[in-house]
Amino acid sequence: MTTSSAALALENIARRFDHVRALDDASLVARDGTVHALLGENGAGKTTLMRIAFGLIRPDAGTIREHGRLVELPSPAAAIALGIGMVHQHFSSIPALTVAENVALGGHGAYRVDRVRARVREICDRVGFALDPEARVVDLTVGAQQRLEIVKALAHGARTLILDEPTAVLAPREADDLLAMLRGFADTGGTVVLITHKLREALAIADDVTVLRHGSTVLAEPVANVDSNTLAEAMIGSAPPIEARHERTEPGPVVLSAHELSVSDARGVTRTRDVNLDVRAGEVIGVAGIDGAGQHELLLCLAGRLPATAGYVEGPTTIGFVPEDRHRDALVLEFDIAENLALRDAGFARGRLVWPRIRARAAAMLTEYDVRAPSSDTMVGALSGGNQQKLVLARELEPKPRLLIVENPTRGLDIAATAAVHARLLGARDSGAGVVIYSSDLDEVLALADRLIVMFEGRAREVPLDRDAAGRAMVGAA
Amino acid sequence: MTTALTSFLEASVRTATPLALAALGELVVERAGVINIGLEGIVLGGAFGALLGAGSNNLALGFAAGCAAGVAVAALFGVFAVAMHADQIITGTAVNLLVLGLTGALYRGLYGATGAALTIPTTGAVSLPVLSRIPVLGPTFFDQPPPTYIVYLVAPALWWWLYRTHAGLAIRAIGERLEAVRVLGVNVPRWRCVTILIGGALGGVAGATLVLSQSGTFAEGMSAGRGFIAIAIVVLGRWRPMGVLIASLLFGAASALQYLFQAMGWSVPYQLFLALPYVLTLLALAGFAGRRVEAPAALGRAG
Repeated sequence: MTTSSAALALENIARRFDHVRALDDASLVARDGTVHALLGENGAGKTTLMRIAFGLIRPDAGTIREHGRLVELPSPAAAIALGIGMVHQHFSSIPALTVAENVALGGHGAYRVDRVRARVREICDRVGFALDPEARVVDLTVGAQQRLEIVKALAHGARTLILDEPTAVLAPREADDLLAMLRGFADTGGTVVLITHKLREALAIADDVTVLRHGSTVLAEPVANVDSNTLAEAMIGSAPPIEARHERTEPGPVVLSAHELSVSDARGVTRTRDVNLDVRAGEVIGVAGIDGAGQHELLLCLAGRLPATAGYVEGPTTIGFVPEDRHRDALVLEFDIAENLALRDAGFARGRLVWPRIRARAAAMLTEYDVRAPSSDTMVGALSGGNQQKLVLARELEPKPRLLIVENPTRGLDIAATAAVHARLLGARDSGAGVVIYSSDLDEVLALADRLIVMFEGRAREVPLDRDAAGRAMVGAA
Repeated sequence: MTTALTSFLEASVRTATPLALAALGELVVERAGVINIGLEGIVLGGAFGALLGAGSNNLALGFAAGCAAGVAVAALFGVFAVAMHADQIITGTAVNLLVLGLTGALYRGLYGATGAALTIPTTGAVSLPVLSRIPVLGPTFFDQPPPTYIVYLVAPALWWWLYRTHAGLAIRAIGERLEAVRVLGVNVPRWRCVTILIGGALGGVAGATLVLSQSGTFAEGMSAGRGFIAIAIVVLGRWRPMGVLIASLLFGAASALQYLFQAMGWSVPYQLFLALPYVLTLLALAGFAGRRVEAPAALGRAG
């Protein structure tokens, strides 16, 4: 693929966030009149790369070319001026305004409702959308909100459309319609970059495909040259497991069992379907799955954080839960260590807080769980990511739960902290807790699990602890 | 009976005028996601400015000075709340206290603390030809001091600006979701400052109206909570110009009830009437509570 004629060419892009290398050596060349699929696992850097292409983030290194011309993208406005539009996973329209008002936003002078309305109708006719210009965005379905995002980009003159996991929020039928529309847009000379982790989608509508893994481009080919196996291998890699260790002890009694469990996400889309699962004391259930396959909702439901829409869960009352996003869901960064530990009982404990006792216990826990902090009144925001995670684990393991549920426990941690967290999780298992772990890193799941469950399109399947078998199951292959 | 009713309606509109002016200004500010509690200070500043400006019997100069004083107070709020990202509520409260103290001190310094009320010439009612002859409605709406006619012009103009220009659209969007608008290259602080100054200008004229069209004098703290009532009017008017006009009239009518009752010879403690607008606010807001909240989503958020 040559870069000179490409609508958009990102070359050797690198970008760090603090100490985390999000992109290392990422390149992507999207040709005019094509659909380009950008594939990769959760955390591979797909969204970061595309946010750079839309001017939301500046790269540390690398170049961006638009039709061969070297460009700088200091802001989204600059990208929009070059005919680049982006449809984010989280929509950017304003709920209180109408469709037409959202489309007109950012213009100058008098706002002619009839003219904008006509423009919306014209764009909708061109791409085959149904969208009422006078409807308020709050009243639109998710699919219609997404169509509005696309209409907005087109109204701003986009010739290159970047879509971040657009089908993740759609019903299958809507997804097919959207993909057909994107195909049509490319066939009339536009360019589409489709961020996805669905191999089927990429193979079905893309002309070219780029695969990112750990922030670097590992594959860039026309779709004709690849199949689902080569793509799956490129996405997941064939690195040896982190460390092989399976001293599996005999599991004890069942501590948690899920029966025909279905769970919906916040938007009401069913994410997890008819899952049956038994977790025994003293075993680690590893959960694997491509981002969005339903594992997140399954774990939240098992942990009692999300209600089941069908089926039920039998489990203990005390459950340790380590959420994926510790900053948002586990810790109050502006609180100190003792306060965060005391939050464990927030919501059901009543009465007076006895601070001297809490602080004494906190200080003991810091030693016990090897959290490196000057004292128990250190602000949690001042701790390193590894120490924050150890603190979350300390809090969740402290009441000796019979069940521990953990999502992406080592995201963003360095090697030493990762090893410490792994040791702690296995320690919980060895002391008789049932442990459920999901990680977007398949090798981590394989290293920790005694049994492996793979999620695909909301359904769970038990798979042997084998890298190839797991990788195939994750993309829905037999 | 008819005269009592007519004078009640006329008094309602007259009392509503400064409230409507201040509330229309605050409406624009709040649509940009800024809540300017300092409106009370703006109205008071406007009243004091009008006093200074009208010193030489020049009523037009008095209104201009009131407007300018309102803009100056609003600019002070804008510098802290927008440019320096200070908390809007605290900044507004500080502005109110500052203006209250400053106007009081200046008033005593300039006019002495004798307590003898100054007398400033006031604008009389101006009858609009033809319109003022309509029975009941004519004297009610079209035989009023000039500031009332400013309301008639400003309300549709603001509506047009907010709903029919890109600037207005950007402002409404800032009030809902400023990050999304910033991504489009809209200068959020600039638009917020523009709306704050507009709010200051209208609030200043509202203050000038109190002095130059109603009381004919200045007293310390004479805004007497009208800035706060205007903020309640914006809520009651659901952040829309037409709604604000109707809500202002409602408050004006509540205040004017006391004149009607006096004219009818009913003796009801006047404190009841003073409390009436506030009771009305509570009732009206409670009535709205079950409906979808339409406040700008980004109201009060630092930009």
